[in-house]
Order: sequence, then structure tokens, then C-alpha cells
Amino acid sequence: MADYALMNQKLFEGDDATVRQLTEEALAEGRQAMEVLEEGLIAGMRVVGEDFKYNRIFVPEVLLAARAMKAGMAVLQPLLTASAADTSAGTIVMGTVKGDLHDIGKNLVGMMAEGAGFKVVDLGTNTSDDDFIAAVREHGADILGMSALLTTTMVYMKTVVDAMTAADLSHVSICIGGAPISQDFADEIGAHGYAADAGSAVQLFKRLVGDRVRA
Amino acid sequence: MRPRLEIIDTTLIERIVDEALTVLETTGILVDYEPAFDRLTAAGLPGNAETHRVRFPRDVVERALATAPSGFTLHDRDGEPFARLEDDRVHFVPASSALRILDRATGEVREASSADFVEYAKVADRLQNIAYLSTAFIPKDVPPDIADGWRLYLALASSKKPVVSGAFTAHGVPRMAQMMGLFRHDLEELAEKPMAIFTCCPNTPLRWAEDAAQNLIDCAEAAIPVEIVPVMLLGMISPATPVGALVLHTVEVLSGLTVAQLIRPGTPVLFGGAPASFHMRLMTNPMTAVEALHVYCSYAQIAKHLKLPCQAYMGLSDSKFNDPQAGAESGIGMFLAALAGFNSISGPGMLDYVNCFSLEKLVFDDELAAHAHRYIRPVEVKEDLPTAALFDELLAENHLLTAEHTLEHWPEELYLPGPMVDRTNWDQWAFQGRKDHRTRANEMINELLDDYDVPPLDEALDAEIRHLFASTCDDPDVVLPEA
Repeated sequence: MADYALMNQKLFEGDDATVRQLTEEALAEGRQAMEVLEEGLIAGMRVVGEDFKYNRIFVPEVLLAARAMKAGMAVLQPLLTASAADTSAGTIVMGTVKGDLHDIGKNLVGMMAEGAGFKVVDLGTNTSDDDFIAAVREHGADILGMSALLTTTMVYMKTVVDAMTAADLSHVSICIGGAPISQDFADEIGAHGYAADAGSAVQLFKRLVGDRVRA
Repeated sequence: MRPRLEIIDTTLIERIVDEALTVLETTGILVDYEPAFDRLTAAGLPGNAETHRVRFPRDVVERALATAPSGFTLHDRDGEPFARLEDDRVHFVPASSALRILDRATGEVREASSADFVEYAKVADRLQNIAYLSTAFIPKDVPPDIADGWRLYLALASSKKPVVSGAFTAHGVPRMAQMMGLFRHDLEELAEKPMAIFTCCPNTPLRWAEDAAQNLIDCAEAAIPVEIVPVMLLGMISPATPVGALVLHTVEVLSGLTVAQLIRPGTPVLFGGAPASFHMRLMTNPMTAVEALHVYCSYAQIAKHLKLPCQAYMGLSDSKFNDPQAGAESGIGMFLAALAGFNSISGPGMLDYVNCFSLEKLVFDDELAAHAHRYIRPVEVKEDLPTAALFDELLAENHLLTAEHTLEHWPEELYLPGPMVDRTNWDQWAFQGRKDHRTRANEMINELLDDYDVPPLDEALDAEIRHLFASTCDDPDVVLPEA
């Protein structure tokens, strides 16, 4: 009998080995991959998200839970892909913009987004508009995320936004962040979203993907 | 190794102490109160009956230093051990005896009532980094002759924690001792398990006048721990230079200590102080003046050299409001005091030359106290030497957020401040309602009050204490406020 409460608990504890094992056991006893995903993994991450929001747990615990989520997902992925179900919360292509090598904040956003069930394609630092566009096309991204730490490099975000429009990719939501970035700047360059920290970035991604589904 | 601040070297400490002993022996102290003078000369100190100057022979002072304990334990109102004042153990305590309060609702300065005091005591009771209470300000809804003991009663009725207090008149201590005795089987048990420290301030320079002398004697007789708190004004009633001020300061503390030991050997005595600068234009007495801070931290070294517990009026501010000056003066004072190893640091909550108490400042200072406590923790190797394994993991993962080492150590190593220190970025702050300092302070105060759960005093005990005040007040028709 699949014990989803235990799976949620082990996911909360960041015990990736046990989450992987419980996922395999659930499948072995005939549970649907989608059910295991929903009730075993996503339900557990929901508790993680709530507890983080109310200061009951902190960044390391969230990332550990995210790692356990990934361990379970690795087991489920082939089955879900085979059944053509949309397994992830959405696909995000992200990178630090051209000329900028600062990636600590961007990496944190990536980790938190993965933990929330997004598929994250991280292009690293110093990313050109061509590289962003190629990756967005290749992975069918729902969201393009860009970061910059410098006032000298943040302007490149506008180049990418314009290039995305020119490449007929206006349906992809563009999110930006980084120390010098503001909502005003996002509005000015035509980005769809801005977040001040990794936690609110994930909330933003969820909202944007939800809007896309409804639209 | 505990982080520590040293201002003067051992040779200079020894010279200052030696000079102080010489001054005590040759110049002596004016004991400006006949009964106290008689008491001290009867105890063997040479005194001039006409001038009332008492000299303190070096061997007498040295014997007093030998009987004065290097530490003592404050007990709570139930008689349980609560705080050990010794070595470098640091305790932050609200400063004492303000005349007014900064009203947290209106932002106006006004006189305080017993209800204000009870609110303060409840909040102070809940604060994690305020070790014990003080009789922080003076309620004006009781007659002045009983206000000293009344404050102590309100503190003890609202919190089990020990209290820093003191008397306002020459006759104040016995009534307060009698009241504290009601919490114990008898006064001897109170002597064994003290619940309060009393402040005794010599009348600088080199003088013990009526109230102070009698308070000191009465405290010693009841074995109430005393903090001897000279209030120098550098440049006015003390040398302007730190070494000269330190000699005067040490003379006055050692005179008080010797009196206490002659009256009752073993009485705990804190080497205390509230040195201030004299402002040569405004004629005010800033305790937070940079030169005063030098004197404070230096006399902590002298106290430790003499193996005495020590106290300071630090962590307060001379500002009128909770503005940048208040934050800076309080933070600087509290960090220096913690680094100096003061055992009892009276300052949190206080503004305006110890004249105005602010509950909003108290909750902010509680956070500063937490910071200061963190800062004086030893820096130690914690599975991070050698670094190879840790750095390999760092380079492989590009972060250590989920490393075993981080998970084990971050909760102890990385301090997350409470609401009084704003660590949000601009957007987070805006999202959370753009709360300013006062809003957050008042939210915290209200939460602490909601959280308050100290059991009230036993009814019979409470009635007995109230009867004590009613029956000894100068006004026979006094109507005491509800606690």
C-alpha cells in the first residue's frame, strides 16, 4: 500500500534515497505515475513551500527537499513522458546576460524552481540573445529567466527582449531579476515579470505559467 | 578564545590601584552623615569627628577585597538560582530610575503610572536577551516616599526574574529588604538567595552623603548585593584625563566595597560605574561620550584585576528619541560592554541621560543584546580545518547550501535577527507593508504582552506587601493603585 504520507514526510526531510525507493515501490504495486507525482511528491513540496513562507524552515531545508523531489521525479519521468503527460510545472530557460559573470542569485532561483517542480535549463553566465533564443526553441520553454548584477549589463536584457519579439517568441514569458533590477525596469523593457528574491521568483513563475494555461 | 577588549595594560592597572589605595589611606572619604560616620569609625576606620573624613588604611581595604566575593548568584522570586555574575558572564538589564517615559502610542514624553510599569515589566520578562529586570522608571501615581519600594513590588509581582533596584531615601532600604524577605522564610534566607542588586552611588568627589551612606550600610546588613556606581563628570568633578578619572573612580568603589565588607563580610559588591563626560558648552553629562567609553572599559579591567564582578551603565543613549543617535550609541555601548566582560550592563531602554525610558527602545536593545552576545562567542575550529573536503564540495556544487557541514552548523553560526532588525530587501519590505521601526516595535511589544503568562503573586503575600506600603507611607490615607 503506497504510503504517501511517509513519502511526503521523507521528501520534507530531504531524504532523497528513501523518496526514490518509495517512488519505485509505489509504481511496483501498480500506482499510476501521475498519482505518485501528485500525492507523493507535489503534495510534499506544498508543505515545504508553506513552511518556508512562515519561517518554519529555511533555504537549506527547501533545497534538500527539492533534491528529494528530483530523485523521485527521475523515477517517474520516463513513465510520464511515455504517457505524454506534462510532467513539470513548466520549463524555464535561464542565464546571466552577456557581459555578466555573476550567477549566485540566478543559481539559487534555479534550485528553488526545480524544487517547485519546474524543469530548469541553466545556460550559465555571459549568455547572448542567440543562445537564449536557441535554448528557448529547443526546450519549448514557458519562461525565459535573465539575471544581471551590474548596471552596465542589465541593459542587455532589453536586447534579449527585443530579439525574442523579433524571433516570434512573444508567447514566452520573460522574467528578470538581480540587484539593480526593479519592477519599473521590467516594465520599461517589456519583460513580463520581475522578482526581488528566489522565493518570490518561484511564485512569479507559477503565476505566469498558470496564466498561460488559463489563456 | 573569548573576544575581549583591553584598553590598559597590567602595569597601568597596578599603578592605578596602588594610587587609589594611597588616596584612600591618606585623603580618605568624607562620610557626610553622622550615624554612618559613627558606624564606620566604630568598625575601626580612623575618622576625624570634626571633618567627618574617614581614612581607609591599605590593609583594611585589602582585607575587604579578600572577603568580597568574586561572584554571586541572583535568585528569582521563588528562590531558584537565576543568574551567576562572575568572570566574563555578560547580562543585559534595563537601565534604572527614569523620571519619564516615551509613550509608545503617542510618541510623546510623559510621566509614568503603575500601569505603565506593569506593562514594562511584562515585556521585559518575555525578552530573551534581557537577563533580568530593573526598576526602570518611577511611577508617579504613588507618594514619592514609597515609590522606590513600590517599583520593586510591581517588578516582582509581574516577573519572577531578579531585579536591579535601589532606594530613594536614607530610609528606603529596610522597607524594601523587609518586602523581599516576605518572599523567603526569613532575612537570612534572603541573604543566601538574593533577588535584587541595589545601586549605591557615592557623591563624587570622594564623599558618601546621607542617603547613599545609609543605603550602603543597610544593604550590607541585609547582604543585598550592591553595585557601587560613581558618577564622574570628566573635566568637572573628576580629572578630564582617563587615568586620573580611573583613580578617582577606583577610590570611590573601593571605599564603598570596604564599608560593605566591614558591615557584613562577604556582601556581594559589583565594581560599577556611570562615568560621563562634562560637556564644556552645554554643561550636560553624556555617558555615551567617547572618552567615557574609554573609562568604562578600563575600569572593567581594574575590576577583573581585583577579582570583582562588575557593572556599567552602557547601552543607553543620550538622544531624546529612538533615532540614529540612539541606535548607534546603544549598539556601540552594548558591544563594548560585552567585549569588556561586564557582568551586569544597565542600559537597554534608556534615553535622554537616564531620564526617559522607552519600551520601543527596550525591544530594539534586546536585539542588540542578542547581537552582542553572539559577537563574544569564541571563534573555534568547527570541522573546517583542513578545508579540502569542504572546498571540493563547494567547487563541485558551486554552493554549500545543502552540505552536511552547513546543515550541521548554520543554525548555530548564522544568526537570524528578530523583527527589530530589518533584513528584507526593498521589495520584500514593501510587500510586507512598509513597516517602520515604531510599527515593528509595537507589534513585537503587543505579541510579547499576549505571550505573557507569569503566575500572579500569592494573594496573601500580595496583601501583606500592600499592607506594608500602606502602613509605612507618610500619607496615612494613601490609596495604592492596582498592580
